[in-house]
Amino acid sequence: MKRREFFKKAATITAGGIVMPYLLPTGRLFAKTNAPLAEHVVFVIFGGGLRQQDSILQRYLADSQGFNSEGNILYNILDGPPPSSKIAYGTTPSGQSSGSQPIPKILNTSLESQGTIFAEMRAISGGHYGGLNSLVTGGNVAGQGLKVRPINPTVFEYARRFGGFKATDVWFIGNSIGNSLPLLNSSNHPDFGLPYGANFFAPNTTFGSDGTAALSNAKVYHPQEELEPVYAMKNFLDQSFNIKKGDMPGIKNTDEERTQIKDFIANTFIRKSTGQLPMPPVNSVDGTTMGYAAEVLRVFKPKLLVVNMSNIDGCHSNFTGYLQSMHRADHALGFLWDYIQNQIPEMSGNTIMMYVPECGRNLKSNPILDSNDWYGYDHGDSNSLRVFGGMVGKNIPQKLRVGSETNPIGKVTDFNLTIAEILGYKSEVQSSGIIDPEARSLFDRI
Amino acid sequence: MNTRISKILIVSLFCMLLVQCKKEEDDVLYQVVNTVSHGDNLKKDKSKTNIEFHSILSTNLFQKPSSIGELSRIDRVLQSCGDRTLINEVVIGNYMNSPNVILPTRERMIDSTEKFIEETYIRFFIRRPTEAEKTWFTNFINANKSNPLFRPELVYTAFATSDEYMFY
Repeated sequence: MKRREFFKKAATITAGGIVMPYLLPTGRLFAKTNAPLAEHVVFVIFGGGLRQQDSILQRYLADSQGFNSEGNILYNILDGPPPSSKIAYGTTPSGQSSGSQPIPKILNTSLESQGTIFAEMRAISGGHYGGLNSLVTGGNVAGQGLKVRPINPTVFEYARRFGGFKATDVWFIGNSIGNSLPLLNSSNHPDFGLPYGANFFAPNTTFGSDGTAALSNAKVYHPQEELEPVYAMKNFLDQSFNIKKGDMPGIKNTDEERTQIKDFIANTFIRKSTGQLPMPPVNSVDGTTMGYAAEVLRVFKPKLLVVNMSNIDGCHSNFTGYLQSMHRADHALGFLWDYIQNQIPEMSGNTIMMYVPECGRNLKSNPILDSNDWYGYDHGDSNSLRVFGGMVGKNIPQKLRVGSETNPIGKVTDFNLTIAEILGYKSEVQSSGIIDPEARSLFDRI
Repeated sequence: MNTRISKILIVSLFCMLLVQCKKEEDDVLYQVVNTVSHGDNLKKDKSKTNIEFHSILSTNLFQKPSSIGELSRIDRVLQSCGDRTLINEVVIGNYMNSPNVILPTRERMIDSTEKFIEETYIRFFIRRPTEAEKTWFTNFINANKSNPLFRPELVYTAFATSDEYMFY
């Protein structure tokens, strides 16, 4: 080896030796830039396209179907009396008309009274995937295509890279495998990507009939006598193959995390069969998703969990179903907050929950009539960029309403930066320069 | 007369021997490309799709292909989990619980370790192991002989969940 080459290699190794201990195992290079406001964040995408007029503005049928019936059908989130006529948003008792039985409140005090509401925010996209992308990336790239990972880093990657969290600290729970949801747990960004991605479940598939057939009969191996040799052999084989970062087929958990998640899968099937899973009292697909999210929270107590709902998108062709789904989504959200506060002591009082839809819905209806002769609504016009959001929990001002119909405040891209502020790495996300330049932490909007 | 003809023939033969064709000095190429049939460094850079992966795997384990309905179901389940390796391990754990799975015996693994390792590499990776790989696995299997739970099923699980098996 030439002398110059020797010095070069020696210098590189020495530099690496100095830097690596600070990079590993968390991936963090620097200390957190602000004091965390809470230890856990739960971010609920109240999704599927929620029309302002029918939700926070509490106009029920008055602003959509021309009936003089107003009122609040999201009474776990918002303060305000429910409608008194043409009740169709509830459940359907046997022999009665569709939706005639409103679901009882779960929360004694609404999320609005417990926390802060941003009554009139702006979405980035009037479509689902663009909207979801803007929420998870904090970016304003509305033209992101389906079937590809986001081009900008996601909230999960920021959390793992700048927050130093391990894979089981960061979760994304999707309500299906459609709409490219499974691709939203990580971006394709070269500086972030799958090594910093979140664990993902679409529990209605993982633990539904497909998952039951493919997973529920899996052997549970002894951690030391069986799994340890398997992992030792697998790790040897993987070192020999040396896969490139860009070729990774999914995120990577450590051996210990893999064992923990496999136990979780096995136990979830058992708890499901014995009726022990936490579920909202009134069920729905969105509600089931929230129930599984509660189970992930109970077991892993993650630093960050994002969960999405989407049943309200049935509004394209069934306005009555949309009202019912909206009411159930409110019920499921109330259930989740109640569960965190009362059933997970490690997270109670130390968690901030945030909620917002990915987009709104159109001002004008489409021509599709449902069984009540009510018109459906699509999304894509300027009205579908109108949304509301909120946050509740530790360090969140109570009974505060920010902005109004005539004074919009906040953008959906604010949530990413807000999560960064809550978990303590706001300036690192800001200085990355990859988020919407107009985005602000919601704390700075108050 | 006959003697004369014989002499002429002998002289002709001698002359022919002098101008006979010689073996060419240069190597002759017959347009056959030298190809390593089961080398130790086959380039695998294409990821198998979920359906390809499980179609090949189930054929390996059950000696018969799965139905397309079953493969589609597994594809959906794999999409529903963010860690593909992990969820593959669970699906494989499900396969291993099937009475129809066909595995080598523990005796075969212990008594003919080198042969077992070579067969396993060829079965899963379509290549022979390198000397280093063979040595590592031989040592590993020998070191785990005393563990009664260590069996070919675990070796197969490690191969089936390895990164290399996800590529072709």
